[in-house]
Amino acid sequence: MTIASDSQRKIDTYLRRLRQGLRGVREEDARDIVEELRSHIVEKAAAGGEVTTERLESVLTVLGSPEVLASQYVTDDLLAQAESSRAPWMILRGVFHWAMLSVSGCLVCLVCTVGYMLGGAFFLAALIKPFNPKVGLWKIGPDNYSLALGMTDFRPQGHELLGWLLIPIGLCVGGGTVLLTSYVALGSIRKFRQSRKLRLNPRS
Amino acid sequence: MYYIVYGMAQDESDEPGSPEKWEVQLRKGSLELAILASLWGQKLYGLEILRQLENGSDLIVSEGTVYPLLSRLKALGLLRSEWVESDAGHPRKYYSLTPLGKQRASDMARSWTRFSASLNSLLVPLGKEK
Repeated sequence: MTIASDSQRKIDTYLRRLRQGLRGVREEDARDIVEELRSHIVEKAAAGGEVTTERLESVLTVLGSPEVLASQYVTDDLLAQAESSRAPWMILRGVFHWAMLSVSGCLVCLVCTVGYMLGGAFFLAALIKPFNPKVGLWKIGPDNYSLALGMTDFRPQGHELLGWLLIPIGLCVGGGTVLLTSYVALGSIRKFRQSRKLRLNPRS
Repeated sequence: MYYIVYGMAQDESDEPGSPEKWEVQLRKGSLELAILASLWGQKLYGLEILRQLENGSDLIVSEGTVYPLLSRLKALGLLRSEWVESDAGHPRKYYSLTPLGKQRASDMARSWTRFSASLNSLLVPLGKEK
C-alpha cells in the first residue's frame, strides 16, 4: 500500500492531536487507541492499494474532530475518578472534558466554574481578613446596591458591611458554596454516567 | 440552580422529547447489544464491526462513537482484543467476546426479546385502527 507524503502528514497530524487529547489515559492504552485509529484510517482511505487525498479527507471528516474523539475515551474515566475522589479539582477536570461532548456538560461546567470561584472568593477573603482589614464585602456607594468582595476600599462613598464577621460568614458561605457545587456536579455526573452504562443485569 | 442543571442533564439522556429524538435514543441504546451480537462466535476488527452493523441493522452508527464504545466494553471485561498482522500491510486490532461478554450478550438478548414481545402485544390494537 502506498501513502503519498501529504496524506501521511495529514494522518500524522490527526493522530498527534488525538494523542494530545488522550492525556490522563495510561500510556499503553493511549498508544493502542492511536494505532487502532491509524489502522482504521489507512484501511478505509485506501482504494486499490493507494490512499487518495479525497478519500482520506472524507474518512477524517466522518471520524470527527480528534479532540472530541479523545474526549469520548477520556471523559468516562475522568468522571469516574471525580466521583470517587469528590475533590473539586478532579470534578472540574472531569466536567471540562464532559463540556466538549454535550450541552448539559457545558452547563454543568459553567455552574461548577462559577460555584467554585464564588465559594473560593468567600473562603479566601475570610482567610486574608486578619492580615488585611481592607478585605471585606463592600457596598459600593450610598445610592448603589452593588456589592464588591475582595481586597478593596470604597470609602468615603461606600462602606464595608460585615467587619470581622466576614471571617465566620466567609468560611461558612465559601465552604457551603463549594460543597453545594460539588453536590450538584456529582449528582449530574452520576446521572450522566448511569445513562451511558449498559443495563447489564436485566430482570429475569 | 440545582434543579435546572439536574433537569437538563436528565433531559439530554433520558427524555424522549420528539418522536425523532426517541428513535435516535432507541437506536443508540441498542448499539451495545448490536456490537456484542456481531461478535458472537467470531473475531472482528473495528472496521468489520462497523460494516456489519451498517449492513445488518438499521442502527445509526457513528465511527467516532463505536471505537470509544469498544474500548469501554473492553474495560468492563466484556471484550478482549489482540493485534494481528494482516496482508494489507498494517496490523489490525481484533475483538472477541470474553465468557462474561457472552453471558451478558445472551442476558441482554433474552431481555430484549421478552421486552419487544410484550410491547408488540400492546401495539396490536394500533395496527388495527386506521
